[in-house]
Amino acid sequence: MSFFWFVRHALVAQFTRVPPLDQFVRHMVDAGVGSIGLLTLLIFFAGLSLAVQGYAAFVRFGGQEFLGLFCGIGGIRELYPVMAAVICGARIGANLAASLANMQISEQVEALEVMGIDPMNYLVAPRLWAVSLAMPLLCAYADVVGLAASYLAAVHQLGVNPGNFMAQLRGIVGWEDLAAGVFKGVAFGWLVAIVACYHGYRSAKRDGAEGVGIATNRAIVHSAVLCIVLNMILSAILYV
Amino acid sequence: MSEQASGRPPAIVLDSVSKAFGSHVVLDEVSLTVRHESIMVMLGPSGTGKSVLLRCLVGLLRPDKGRVLVFGEDVARLDPERPRDREELFRIRRRFGMLFQDGALFDDMTVGENVAFPMRMHTSKSEAEIRASVDDKLRRVGLPKAASKFPSELSGGMRKRVAFARAIALEPDIVLCDEPSSGLDPVMSATLDELILELHRTLGMTFVVISHDTAEARKIADTIGLLAKGKLVTYGPTEQVLRSNHPALRQFFERSTDGPIQVL
Repeated sequence: MSFFWFVRHALVAQFTRVPPLDQFVRHMVDAGVGSIGLLTLLIFFAGLSLAVQGYAAFVRFGGQEFLGLFCGIGGIRELYPVMAAVICGARIGANLAASLANMQISEQVEALEVMGIDPMNYLVAPRLWAVSLAMPLLCAYADVVGLAASYLAAVHQLGVNPGNFMAQLRGIVGWEDLAAGVFKGVAFGWLVAIVACYHGYRSAKRDGAEGVGIATNRAIVHSAVLCIVLNMILSAILYV
Repeated sequence: MSEQASGRPPAIVLDSVSKAFGSHVVLDEVSLTVRHESIMVMLGPSGTGKSVLLRCLVGLLRPDKGRVLVFGEDVARLDPERPRDREELFRIRRRFGMLFQDGALFDDMTVGENVAFPMRMHTSKSEAEIRASVDDKLRRVGLPKAASKFPSELSGGMRKRVAFARAIALEPDIVLCDEPSSGLDPVMSATLDELILELHRTLGMTFVVISHDTAEARKIADTIGLLAKGKLVTYGPTEQVLRSNHPALRQFFERSTDGPIQVL
């Protein structure tokens, strides 16, 4: 099964039928709510680091009032969406790939086929919708957590004027940045889900338990690499 | 009266079906007919293509050559890669129920949800009707109190019985059973045989059973086949096959290592 065959059939399944609601809700909750704890922890520290590093660079020429601008551009436009995609992508992608691979090796996917139920409609489409919709929400949430952390570090630890920080931030970050973040989130979510579903789905009974591990590993690595490359392409299109 | 004379096509016809994986020929020119409302048991040693045969019947595998007619429709000509053929295949498959060798239960669903699943997907029955049907099917397989358990909480034999309940949930025209008695104790195995006979008698279901178990074949089969090294060695009505002196058949029924079937 080639990746392009899989993508074509997955797209047809995703956009020609309403996905099973129970599956969609389950995966949406798992991808979204299930990722919040890990995402909060990591993005909070990333936000703190961004402020500290920015301050260390700007203070050399007395430009610490630009810290809000730096955290806005670096964080909202680049760091937080791509971090959310890689962190949540690893978690969600591993989950999707492992569960689908396990279903393949235990013949559950074949059981669906024999029941006259298209696994693309029942298994793949709801996962694609769920992760594509959960990821932009996670990216937006990462923006909020990361900025809050940067603000805390800048204002309460590094002594940057809060009004100045917010004014710089508002000056550089507009609604178009938030819209771009949502767009990136949808693209990352779909990419993570399609890569994970592909690796899980192409496992076979003969692959055994090792096949589940291989599928999971490939899903994490490939989705992380592809998200970072896609982020660069989207940034070039959206901001240059 | 023959089926052709009665105007009713046979449930399944295999016409010179061949299937190979690379250079390994798994099915070699297999031809057979499964009559409507009959029980056909296909015997054979492990690795001789019995499960491949079953998969060809439902279009999970496409034969390299030959025709697979299910109620007169050729499954082998349908290409699962093509969307229109795929829809056609799904329509035909709804006439089947299948018991997989390891059960293939959905492990994120309870036993009750597993059995209810085909009904939820393919019928407009109310929840109360589905619940009543699930209770009935689970009672038939001897697991009346297992509805709220998850498959991981069950033994291998119990999982197989639940899988059987799921396979008959829609009361399909044809039920395919891949090694139904493996992993079951003799009493439960006999109970499952009785259940197959009862469903056959009361609902007129056609059964295609893949098995190693000669006792099971003697008990339930109308028609017995023996598959060895991809070839259909013998095939016919049970009484005729049991009287046959075919060396492979005698070896299989006598559990002997001497004969044409060599595994080492």
